[in-house]
Amino acid sequence: MRKELGNENEAIWSRWYKNAERAPDRDAIIHWVAGEEPFRWTFSALIDTAEGLAATLVEHDIGKGDVCAIIMRHNKILYPLYLAVVCVGAIPAILAYPNPRLHPDKFRQGIDGMSSRSGLDWVFTERDLEGTVRPSLERPGSTIKGLHFPLEWKTGHVLTKEQLDRVITRHKLVKRDDPLLLQHSSGTTGLQKPVLLSHRAVLEHVKYYGQAIGLNSNDKIVSWLPLYHDMGLIAAFHLPLALGIPTVQIDPFEWVMVPSLLLDAISLERGTISWLPNFAYNMIADKIADDELDGINLESWRLVINCSEPVRYESHQKFVERFRHWGLNPLAISSCYAMAETTFATTQTPPGTPPSLLALDRNALAQGKVKIAQDADRAKICVSSGKTIAHCQVRIVDENRQEVSDRTIGEIAIKSRSMFDGYRNYLEKTREVVCDGWYYSGDYGFADRGDYYVIGRKKDIIIVAGNNIYPEDLEDVVGKVEGVIPGRVIAFGEEDRQLGTEHVSVIAESGMTGDQGQRKLKMDIIEAAMAIDVSITNVYLVPPRWLIKSSAGKPSRKANKERILSGSETRKAKTNDYGGIEARHTNRAQVG
Amino acid sequence: MITEELKRVILTALKLDDWDIQDETIATQVPGWDSLNHVNVILAIENHFRVRFKPVEVLKLKNIGDLQALLTAKLQKPV
Repeated sequence: MRKELGNENEAIWSRWYKNAERAPDRDAIIHWVAGEEPFRWTFSALIDTAEGLAATLVEHDIGKGDVCAIIMRHNKILYPLYLAVVCVGAIPAILAYPNPRLHPDKFRQGIDGMSSRSGLDWVFTERDLEGTVRPSLERPGSTIKGLHFPLEWKTGHVLTKEQLDRVITRHKLVKRDDPLLLQHSSGTTGLQKPVLLSHRAVLEHVKYYGQAIGLNSNDKIVSWLPLYHDMGLIAAFHLPLALGIPTVQIDPFEWVMVPSLLLDAISLERGTISWLPNFAYNMIADKIADDELDGINLESWRLVINCSEPVRYESHQKFVERFRHWGLNPLAISSCYAMAETTFATTQTPPGTPPSLLALDRNALAQGKVKIAQDADRAKICVSSGKTIAHCQVRIVDENRQEVSDRTIGEIAIKSRSMFDGYRNYLEKTREVVCDGWYYSGDYGFADRGDYYVIGRKKDIIIVAGNNIYPEDLEDVVGKVEGVIPGRVIAFGEEDRQLGTEHVSVIAESGMTGDQGQRKLKMDIIEAAMAIDVSITNVYLVPPRWLIKSSAGKPSRKANKERILSGSETRKAKTNDYGGIEARHTNRAQVG
Repeated sequence: MITEELKRVILTALKLDDWDIQDETIATQVPGWDSLNHVNVILAIENHFRVRFKPVEVLKLKNIGDLQALLTAKLQKPV
C-alpha cells in the first residue's frame, strides 16, 4: 500500500519513502534514553507509523499549508508525527518544551507571538501542558484551531483503503517548492523570526552539504541537539533521513545533565559524525570523570563539527588532549558556519583536514583589523569555519554592502541555492536582511584564501551554549523589577573562557543604596530572569544616569558593556561614594 | 531533611550566600541552578563527599530531597 504514496514531485516524503523501499530494515532513528535499551525505528517502520498518524491528521482535517507547532519532550513518537505532518502537506514547527522555571505566561506569550506572526493553526503537545497552552487557543483573535495530544493516538494499526486514499489525496497536493517547515527563533517580545524552508531548499541542501562532509552509507550520526534548533533539525535529522543513513537521537535534557551519554552512544553505536556547539567541547572535556570512560572507544568518530557558536581554538585543543587516549582522531575536529536562513551550512572544513588557524593581534582585532600577531602573548588564535559548500557563495562586505578584500573584516553575506523563503508573514524583516538574493547575516568575519573566519556579530544577541538570548527580552523583564529604573537596563554577553561560551550580564540603574537593599535587588533581578528561563551571572547596579545613551536616546549596549568591563571604569566605580558597582565576577547572587 | 553540609556545598557551587532549600525544592527554583550548571553541582557534591553517582541515578532525581536520600545511601554503603 505504501507504494501509492510515492510523489512525482519529489517532495521530501517521497525521498523518505524511497529510502524505506531501498533499505526497509535499516535503522533510521535510534531513540536513545539513558539506562534503557534504545528504541530503533527502521525506515519502513518509521514510514508505516507516519502513514497511520497522517490518517489521523486527515481525520482532524489537518492539511496543506496548516502550521503545526509540535511541543513535546524526547519521545519516540515525535519522529513519525513530524513525518506525518509533512506527508499531508502541513508545516511542522518544533518548539522547545518549556523548562519548569519558565513562567507559563511567558511561554504563552511566545505561542501567542507565533500565532500572530505565523498564523499557527494547530498545536501538538502532551496532556501535561494542556492547562498552559489552552488559554492561547481561547484568547480572542487566536489563529489556533485545535490542540492535539498525539501520545494518546492509536499507532501501529493497518489503514483501510479509504483512510489511505484520503492520505494520498492530501499528499498529492504537495509540490517541491511548497513550504516544508518553519523554524522559530526564541524570543518573546515580538522578536521571533519564523524561517520558512521549502522542500526544494532542504533537499538541495542535504545533497550539497552531504557532499561537503563526504557523507556515505557507512556513516551514523549521533546527536543530543534539540530538534527546535537548526543544527539538530537539519544536520542531525533531515540530513540522515533524506540520505538514508541512521541517526541516534539523545535527549538534550539528559545529555546536559550527563554529558558522557554522547560518548557512550558514539562508542556503542560506532557513530561517525556529530555536530556540537563550542561549549559542548569544554563541557565534555571538563565534566566527565575517567571512570565514566571505561570501555569507551571513539575511533569511529570521523567528524566532530563545531558550529552555532564562535569556534574557540582552546576548546578544540582541550577536547583532543582529553580524548586522544580513547581513540579520538585529532583530524576529526572540524568546523562549520551555518544558519537557519540558508537551511543550514554555508561553509565547512574539509573532512580529515584540520581547520586553518591564524594567530592574530588581539588589540588590532578589537579595532576591527586583521593583523598577524608578532607577539604570542597578544595573539588570539582564530579558527577557520571552512570553505563554501557547493552552490553557496559568501562575500565579506563593508557598511555599504560593497565587497572587501581578503583579511578585511566586514559583514558576512551569503547567496545559496538553499536559501529560505523569507520570514513568514514578515516582509519588512525579510527585506532588511535579503537584497538581490544575498542574505546579510549580521555576523562579522573575514576571508583568507578561500577560508572564512567568523569573529563576532553586528547584532546584540547573546549566545549561551548555542542558544540565542535576545537582550530586549531580558531588559524588558528586568526593567519591571521594583527598584530598577524602567528603561534603564542593558543586557549583554560576557566571554566565559572556562565554559567556552558566553554568560549573561546585566547593568541596571537604581537609586537603591546600602548593601542589604542592593543584595535583595540583585536577587529580585536574577529571579525575574529565571521566569523567562535566563540565568544571569553578573548583575551590575549603577546609579541613575550612569548608562551612556546611543544617538537614538536608548542606553547603548556596546558602550556600556565596554564601560563596565574596562578596568579603569571598574576601579573608578569601586572608589566612588555610591558603592553600587562591583567588580566583575564578584556579585553573582550574593544573598545574606 | 537536607543536611547543612549538603546545602552548603550546593550554595558554594552556585555562588550563593544563602537560599531556602527544602526536600521538595527542585533545581530550577534555585538561582543559577540551570541545566548547564547541574553538572557542576553534582561534581561539587561528588568531590566534597567523595562519592560517585551513576548517570541514571542523577537523571532519576526529582528534587533535592531525592538527592539527599541518594547521597545518604551512598555514604552509608560500606566501601
